[in-house]
Amino acid sequence: MKKILCATRGGEASIRTQDAVIAMAKKEGATIVFLYVVDVEFLRLTARGVRPDVVATELERMGEFLLAMAVERAAAQGVEADMIVRRGPLTQALEEVGQQLGADAVAFGRPAGVDSSFSLSDLEKLAARIEEDTGIETYIL
Amino acid sequence: MRRWIRTWGLFAFLLSASLILAFASRGSRAQEQPPSPLVTGTIQDSQDQPVEGATVQLGAEAEGEALAEAVTQSNGRYALPAPQDLPDNLFVQISRAHFEEDVVALSAADIQNLRNGESVVVGITTLPRRITPAFWIAALIFVAMLVLIATGTLHNTLAALLGASLVFFVSYLGEPLMEDLFIFGFDRALQYVDWNVIFLIMGMMIVIAVVERTGIFQWLAYMAYRLSGGRLWLLLPILMIVTGVASALLDNVTTMLLMTPITIQISLALGINPLALLMPEVMASNVVGISTLIGTPTNILIGSFADISFNDFLVNLTPGVVLAMIGLVLYSEFVYRKEILAPGKGEISPLLLEKLEERAQITQPGHLRKAAVVGTGMILLFVFGERIHLLPAVTAIMGATALLVWIRPDIEEMIEAVDWTTLVFFITLFIVVGGIQEVGLISLVATGIGDLVGENLILAMFVVTWFSAVLSTVIANIPFTAAMLPVVGYLTATIPGAGNKVLFYCLSVGSAMGGNGSLIGASANMVTAGIAERAGQPITYLYFIKKGFPALILTVALAMVWLLIRFLVLAG
Repeated sequence: MKKILCATRGGEASIRTQDAVIAMAKKEGATIVFLYVVDVEFLRLTARGVRPDVVATELERMGEFLLAMAVERAAAQGVEADMIVRRGPLTQALEEVGQQLGADAVAFGRPAGVDSSFSLSDLEKLAARIEEDTGIETYIL
Repeated sequence: MRRWIRTWGLFAFLLSASLILAFASRGSRAQEQPPSPLVTGTIQDSQDQPVEGATVQLGAEAEGEALAEAVTQSNGRYALPAPQDLPDNLFVQISRAHFEEDVVALSAADIQNLRNGESVVVGITTLPRRITPAFWIAALIFVAMLVLIATGTLHNTLAALLGASLVFFVSYLGEPLMEDLFIFGFDRALQYVDWNVIFLIMGMMIVIAVVERTGIFQWLAYMAYRLSGGRLWLLLPILMIVTGVASALLDNVTTMLLMTPITIQISLALGINPLALLMPEVMASNVVGISTLIGTPTNILIGSFADISFNDFLVNLTPGVVLAMIGLVLYSEFVYRKEILAPGKGEISPLLLEKLEERAQITQPGHLRKAAVVGTGMILLFVFGERIHLLPAVTAIMGATALLVWIRPDIEEMIEAVDWTTLVFFITLFIVVGGIQEVGLISLVATGIGDLVGENLILAMFVVTWFSAVLSTVIANIPFTAAMLPVVGYLTATIPGAGNKVLFYCLSVGSAMGGNGSLIGASANMVTAGIAERAGQPITYLYFIKKGFPALILTVALAMVWLLIRFLVLAG
């Protein structure tokens, strides 16, 4: 059975991506693994307040919750899905998890306007790099 | 063994720090008797503030050797021992960097008194300020530091460190080229570092490090949901109060870092936009934090500078904070009414509810109990400690030590828990602000504001509050507050009726509540936005201004009403 790795967060844009991946998985009879990547880079420019590893743990829990929602969403549409939370840079996490799982495809959402943290060209570069490094097919949905 | 040595080593260090601070606060009691009559006097600047570190010489001839020499103390006073054989002409020559030199001649009667063994009081000498190249350089360094912080070009600590290094670079390497490039020396710079602030923040960091892993914030947020029964109009104020109280007892950034993830989970489980809960929470955190001395870094700065105690903040600001919070709750309910009142919202899926319950566990009940006992003791010492002149920094260090000894955590982990970069930020910030104080920039600003408000206390209250509130939306409020302290100190000393320190409370209200005006106005806003963005819920600059700026106006106005009542009506 084909396996699609989907990096996601929460929010409306992510839900659109999740729906698109679920539809794609349904069509191809694939399973999905939703991935949430924790990074605490934003703490770099502000007062720390709390130890970064404590914040990372909280973000991991939040990520698990967000992914549980995505898994529930997939299940409601009859698609089998699993979830993984990882710490570290996004590209590295996607490549590592993709290879470990033997994923057939990696999917990410198209940037949702000016508020998105990524531009389309950033995503295209990221997709190209993952394809080059791992040979896994990528989709920007 | 190694662990034992490290634990007790840290204990000994913290205890020594407590004792040093405690003894330092009591001041020196020993006074030596002068062997000969003295020529005494006070040096002040044109704002009637004492001038410390001025060199005062007793001389007989213009180019001759000084008969006696002294340096003015922090109160501007000096005492020159008169020699036994006195000439017929005597004068006191005063010099100090960044001031014009002055010479005061002693009268024949004064000289006769000295000969009779009686001391002479020269009185107050006012030294006018001198604008030197060092003035412009120090000002430029300060502004550049603010810009680097505001634009996020450099980390706060790096920006302040760079500023302090430049001050020393110019002072030490520039002075040999041109005397007027000298800002101040290292010893003088260290006098501007407020160690009470450093130790208080360090002590609280250790306490927070123990509390942050206990799961209390997650449990409180979940209890807020349970208490509200899923009614969003009720959940909103409960979460705001929980966040506000936690911010007052710990600090805003910690509270928001730990409250934001669980709040996002509750919001998503309830099917509402997380920003409808996050924005009111972070605004409440900025508002309620000022009700205690330890709630915000700006209050710690203000409290230490103006000798305002934990009780003073509680008594003089809490009613205003309550008023502002009532306004903020109503405002938030109104602004997010569509989210709160939408039909179907508030229902939660069983799976997500199970997940939430899983998250809302007290993970370290033993540590939490101990932290609660020590925390209660610390609050009691903060409240009653002023009766025995116990500095808040000493209480914080003692509390942190007690907690460490009781819990015996991994000491290396605890040392890592202290945010040394923040402590370095404060130390170097004090040096940069000391630089502009030394060269007279602060005096100039203080005089300008003083001229603007005259002797009108109400006008001064409005100017200090709104000036700080608006500026805090665009520049980091910690360096701003640090720079404003001597300005407010000057206004307090010169405006009739301001002796009750009301203007310091105005600064506290303006600088903290002003943080609600923009995303970069407070660190708590930035970390909230950082976490929200990682949940796919970006808080943009524009969104924050749109929701936050009206809240700023409302809360500052309400707090201002209380300050007017408290200090003008109730004070009689």
